[in-house]
Amino acid sequence: MSASATPLLKTQGLTRKYGGLVAVSNLDIEIRPGEILGLIGPNGAGKSTTFNLISGFVRPTSGRLYMDGEDVTGQSPTRISRKGLVRTFQHGSLMRTMTVRDNILVGAVGALRGAARGEREARVQEAAAMLGLEAYLDEVAGNLPHGLQRLVSIAIAFAVRPRVLCLDEPLTGLNQTEANATLDVLRRIRGQFGCAILLVEHNMKAVMQLCERIVVLHHGQMLAAGTPQEIRQNESVVSAYLGTRHEH
Amino acid sequence: MDKRVLSQSGLAVVVAGIATLAVAPGYSANLVMWMAIAVLMAASLRFVLLIGELNFATAAFVGLGAYGAGVSTTILQWPFAVALLLSGVVAAAIGFVFGFVTLKTKGPYFLLIGFAFTEMVRLVYTKVQWLGGNSGMVGIFPPQYLEASYITFVVVLVGVLLIALYAIEQSHLGKCFVAIRDNDQVVQSVGVNVHLTKVACLCIGAFAAGIAGGLSAFVNNVISPGDFGFLLSTFALAYLKVGGEDSPLGPVAGAILLVLLGSVALGLGAGEHVFYGLAIILSVLLLPQGVVGLLSRLRPGRRSQAHVA
Repeated sequence: MSASATPLLKTQGLTRKYGGLVAVSNLDIEIRPGEILGLIGPNGAGKSTTFNLISGFVRPTSGRLYMDGEDVTGQSPTRISRKGLVRTFQHGSLMRTMTVRDNILVGAVGALRGAARGEREARVQEAAAMLGLEAYLDEVAGNLPHGLQRLVSIAIAFAVRPRVLCLDEPLTGLNQTEANATLDVLRRIRGQFGCAILLVEHNMKAVMQLCERIVVLHHGQMLAAGTPQEIRQNESVVSAYLGTRHEH
Repeated sequence: MDKRVLSQSGLAVVVAGIATLAVAPGYSANLVMWMAIAVLMAASLRFVLLIGELNFATAAFVGLGAYGAGVSTTILQWPFAVALLLSGVVAAAIGFVFGFVTLKTKGPYFLLIGFAFTEMVRLVYTKVQWLGGNSGMVGIFPPQYLEASYITFVVVLVGVLLIALYAIEQSHLGKCFVAIRDNDQVVQSVGVNVHLTKVACLCIGAFAAGIAGGLSAFVNNVISPGDFGFLLSTFALAYLKVGGEDSPLGPVAGAILLVLLGSVALGLGAGEHVFYGLAIILSVLLLPQGVVGLLSRLRPGRRSQAHVA
């Protein structure tokens, strides 16, 4: 992953205002092919708005969004998804009344438009195997424990075979074992399919373990960016977000 | 679609078709045909509910189908098969435009637009003289070769359309409909065009409603604007709520039951409408999953179909 590689996704001066409130201000970030980038910051820092902006769910007030160098600013979530960026949602990233199989199928349908039925079903099996969900395919997603529901939402996104997988707090509500298992899955996804991962997460330990680069947001602006080591040693970040305990 | 379900449904349609041969012509035959048409209308309403929208424009699409059949038969003198097909196609085509414009809205907003559209289309019929104005159109008869067996034709066609709707519901497109109802953001985020998918759902529902309208025009031989007001959508909702909206058999059970009871309630005069209102209230309170839901709960060893998967 050389720093000179053309970024898969790049924002330039991305800004979103809600009336007088500036949720995201002049944000310049880039995601390189195959890298795992963490986006951290306290509540209200603008992480979710950033996610909504880069996935097309919210239009920027100003600034540009590029994918593979192509300007995709203002394009719909569907079009951005078709260019290879797929996201999950912090709350309710699945279809609760549908089976796990049908949930993942929706991702396969999105990726394989016009493809044969069998091809989509094979994609479902593949995504279920990757996330360890084969045993739950015929269960109604809403009846599953929280940890498995999180995996289902990743499986839906993974079934699209994105080039950038954006995960909005995928570890929230998971115990340590489940969180570790999910981190392993994410490493496998990146290892086998080479997709970049953008991760918003409050679990600092997990972010530090998994991410190669971290961007820290504060009041909608970038406070710092760098490797986990650099972020750990950044005094302003440490005092503002990580507290005084340095074991993270 | 599951081959076992397909063969069982096909068999049920054949049996229903054969059973119609035993129905005496006249009021009984008309009652059976009204039931079948009501089933199709309720199935159309249920189909659009797959995307989570209550389509109160169902009555408008039934009316468009009926007027399509009326114009094709009495003015253009086109063959029956063309007229009937056109009734569905006209409704679906207008449904496409209607859906494309209005399906950006959701829930109560879409419901209200559907209600307004139905009333608007009804008023247009009254103002257009070549459509017969307030009096409507007369002389819409099925062809002579079908006159004796029209009841069988109606029941079998409705059965075939129900199977087709169910097959679509079980297809990957149908899964996307239900996914949109559950969580349209996720569907959007994986690259499915949610708006066009919703429009497709509405078009298919409108086609079925249009065919219901075409069939009803040939059953009643007369159509008038007053037949296609919003009350018709309310009736369809009553059929669905009483039968149960979770199962494709819900519209069948609800429509048959209510049309049968409604024929008794005709003696109540204006009370007929009170009857349908009461049916909706009681079924929502006492049978949240409708008659079909109740029956499936009563059957030992059967899991209740609490959801449309």
